Amino acid sequence: MKLWHHYHTPSSIDEALALLDHYGGQARVIAGGTDLLVDLRAEEGEPFPALVDITAIPELTIIETRNNQIIIGAGVTHNQIVRSPLLAANATCLVESCGVVGGPQVRNVGTLGGNVAHALPAGDGTTSLVALDAEAEIILNGERRWVPILEMYQGPGQSLINSTHDLLLRFRFAPSGKGEATAFKRIMRPQGVALPILGCAVWLRLDGATIVESRVCIAPAGPTPLRVGEVEAFLNGQPASERTIHQTAELGQKVLHPRTSKYRATADYRREMIGVLLRRTLTLAVQRAQTGAAVPEGVGM
Amino acid sequence: MAKDKTFTVGHTVKRIDAVGKVTGEAVYPGDVSMEGQLWMKLRFSDRVHARVVAIDTTQAAALPGVVAVFTAKDVPNNEYGLTMLDQPVLCGPGSNSIIPGADVVRCYMDCVAVVVAETEAAAAEAVQLVDVTYEDLPAVFDAEAAMAEGAPRLHADHPNNVLCHYRIRKGDLAAGWTQADVVVEGEYYTGYQEHAYLQPEAGIGYIDDAGRVTVIVAGQWVHEDQEQIYHALGLPADQVRVIYPAIGGAFGGREDMSVQIVLALAAWKLRRPVKIQWSREESILYHHKRHPVRIRAKWGATRDGRVVAAEAIVIGDAGAYNYTTNKVMGNANLMATGPYEIPNIHVDTYGVYTNNIPCGAFRGFGGPQGAFAAEGQMNKLAEALGIDPVEIRMRNALQEGSLLSVGTPLPPGVSIPQVIEACARESFWKKGDIGWSRPQHPQPDNPALRRGVGFAAAFKNVGFSFGAPEQSWATVELYGQTEIEEVVVRHAGAEVGQGTHTVMIQMAAEAAGVPFAKVRLIGQDTAETLNSGSVSASRMTFMAGNAIKGAAEQALEKWRNEERPAVATYQYRPPATTPYDPETGKSEPNFAYGYVAEAVEVEVDIETGHIRLARVICADDVGQAVNPQLVQGQIEGAVVQAQGYAIMENLISQEGRILNPYLSTYLIPTILDVPDEVKSVILEYADPIGPWGARGMGEMPFLPLSPAIVAAVHDATGIWMDFIPLTPERVVAALREHGLGVI
Repeated sequence: MKLWHHYHTPSSIDEALALLDHYGGQARVIAGGTDLLVDLRAEEGEPFPALVDITAIPELTIIETRNNQIIIGAGVTHNQIVRSPLLAANATCLVESCGVVGGPQVRNVGTLGGNVAHALPAGDGTTSLVALDAEAEIILNGERRWVPILEMYQGPGQSLINSTHDLLLRFRFAPSGKGEATAFKRIMRPQGVALPILGCAVWLRLDGATIVESRVCIAPAGPTPLRVGEVEAFLNGQPASERTIHQTAELGQKVLHPRTSKYRATADYRREMIGVLLRRTLTLAVQRAQTGAAVPEGVGM
Repeated sequence: MAKDKTFTVGHTVKRIDAVGKVTGEAVYPGDVSMEGQLWMKLRFSDRVHARVVAIDTTQAAALPGVVAVFTAKDVPNNEYGLTMLDQPVLCGPGSNSIIPGADVVRCYMDCVAVVVAETEAAAAEAVQLVDVTYEDLPAVFDAEAAMAEGAPRLHADHPNNVLCHYRIRKGDLAAGWTQADVVVEGEYYTGYQEHAYLQPEAGIGYIDDAGRVTVIVAGQWVHEDQEQIYHALGLPADQVRVIYPAIGGAFGGREDMSVQIVLALAAWKLRRPVKIQWSREESILYHHKRHPVRIRAKWGATRDGRVVAAEAIVIGDAGAYNYTTNKVMGNANLMATGPYEIPNIHVDTYGVYTNNIPCGAFRGFGGPQGAFAAEGQMNKLAEALGIDPVEIRMRNALQEGSLLSVGTPLPPGVSIPQVIEACARESFWKKGDIGWSRPQHPQPDNPALRRGVGFAAAFKNVGFSFGAPEQSWATVELYGQTEIEEVVVRHAGAEVGQGTHTVMIQMAAEAAGVPFAKVRLIGQDTAETLNSGSVSASRMTFMAGNAIKGAAEQALEKWRNEERPAVATYQYRPPATTPYDPETGKSEPNFAYGYVAEAVEVEVDIETGHIRLARVICADDVGQAVNPQLVQGQIEGAVVQAQGYAIMENLISQEGRILNPYLSTYLIPTILDVPDEVKSVILEYADPIGPWGARGMGEMPFLPLSPAIVAAVHDATGIWMDFIPLTPERVVAALREHGLGVI
């Protein structure tokens, strides 16, 4: 089965833009393709006129610190993230979330940029990027700019950028500071390659024994990824105690309204799991913030 | 005669098909293409129960590239079915059919039209243009509701939709209850299971050089496929040929027809090659499933752990057609009281028509459902009496000469006590002065994780049961002059992935006294072989072995009499079996059995409901392991398939429609799910009539796993969960009901 007619591998951003322009909306960006090709196959329509693979553009494949910001190119694969000591120390939750995406083959090919551009409400990488308060650099209608990560999501599967026209270039976020830590956990059916039932990423900062700031993302809990404002507001200023974590878990169950997906989980089960996940993820993040240790957990080979 | 022991029975020989399958060179049905071939697409029913009033094919036929559109009236004899001819090949008006109501669709997998076109795309487009007018009929989706008075009836000749009803009446049940000190009751539910073989249905039909309608396809019994085709087409048997290339798994799912008859029909009408390839979605939607079964059971035992009474009602959802329901439920009926000698028994088993997807053969064939209830009852009795689960089984296990529930002794070679003991010893148990016991199992530090251990046992028939005709042909040809240079074996038995062709060659080499490398097999082609019976019922090693052994002995006799080549054809017939007595169930159900026991360790996350299967110890009496590595492969494969059945595989059917026909939502085990350890304990207590003592074993490791897991979950949590699959949702619901895992 033929999925495309032409496959291009540009080596610069300008070249990629020129190709998209050349095809006038008939070419699509591919960055790993572990979702895109499945979709193309399922559509069973005419082969796509052209695919533009951005993973050979050097600028989009780097992981680095620049101007006191961590930068990750949109073409960086999940496994490159998993193997990065810089990210293990500064974005533990991102390493953990990228480490459970798909199986080894998918993680070798699939990219963080692809995960975000696909705009699913429960992309594992996304959940962590939201907790990290990341920004995405895009070229939208020819204009290059940074946008908050949540702005990338316009609806389920609906991205701010049009992948026949625009480009997602890089992500950036602040490195981990003193008393700061992150964690990611997810509930999934008992096998490695299914979609998650629920994912949760937490970023927090401790001042002594007090949680002074936090960011919490739980997905899917709506049509797009979201921060749980009520939970964050409650946490800030609370002692980093078991009691606080317990209360937070209960609060999360109260304020979030997950929906039933016929094949994956009922709303009841998801609501039950919000409590479990919040408790487990917060406990881990607090431990990390207290000890300064940041060893990613549950990451696949 | 020179004998190379390293290449014969009892030794691990490399599979003859290993290299081709690993390198991708093996040819499967979908890989076969022919010059000038056409493509076929099927129009399945759009309604779950409806009369087809009219089919307008004008628009479809007019689409460029479309060569033909076939409907019911094009099928000479419009009925098929493995053990009952109760399903129309194509549903629609005006056909010649013995089925009352061949114009009625009874489920979504019924087929109403066949489109053949120059390209697959044209066929796919045209099949949607077939205009079908339906008149809806009331439908029923629950087996017990279908049995109620006034329920919509699917088949005119089956009142209350009861397809089959088997009774067992042994001893005096009332007296049994009087003797019982303890009585336990349970209601058990087992779900659907999809075969999920690697290779979706595909095939090609054409006219061969001899003018025969020929179908290259994957199945389990070439001669049965041939019979189904020649019946539907109204042709003499020798005008139809069926050939199997490499087959990508079967597990019972290829016993019934999928693309065979329609491919033959199109090739016969059009005199051109016609190809079809199903997608995974089509495969899941349009072949049968394992029966969902509900069992209500009540067992009583004396204080010292002797089971004295057992009662069960077994209700299986057959779906819209028989397939092999009458046989599957017959097996469930026998196995619902386990491998135990119980003096007083009542069992009533029903197979019931509904408008759900038809159910049929799947590894274990009613045994897993029966064992789920029987072993659950035995484990509950053990708990109620405070007797160890191994110990109570030893006190009740069938012995040589024991009477089965159906009032007759088992065939000689009963080894279930030895199998239970071996499994216990190789796993978590010790035998002391007061019998079998198990030390307390260590628990993890994390309080959310609970570990538990469970045990279950089972028996599985080898070969066709209850009076079904049973035989297998083989031909052995010895070539050479002074010594045998080549042995050619002709045997039709299907290599579905289990390794049977390798095993046949091993047995032929052993029988003829030549090295493995000197034997060549000609198989799975009706034009080249005689009827072998199906690859099912764990029968092929046993049946092919005896047939090949018989043929080889006769060929050797001819060889000694200087015949060159020395050729002998032999039909093996095992001891006869008899059907259930309609009132009492008295029968001689089977001529051979395999015996199995399993111990498992699970870890339950009581907060999320996830169950991790950590260890499985599986002891199997295989009589003689012809190829030990293949036996181990069958054990590990069956255990993992049963793990999916018990924990993960949740086929969702809503008003007869399967909602998750994808492997992304119907989850089968992957390498990340398999247990840390599956320990195969291969026991060899010879079957007196098995070839070299071999018993069949491909199914039996499947049977005890789900009840063993349920027992282990109970050990971990204190809760009996008598339903499978044990999805996290259901487990959490059960745990919370008992106050476990609450935040």
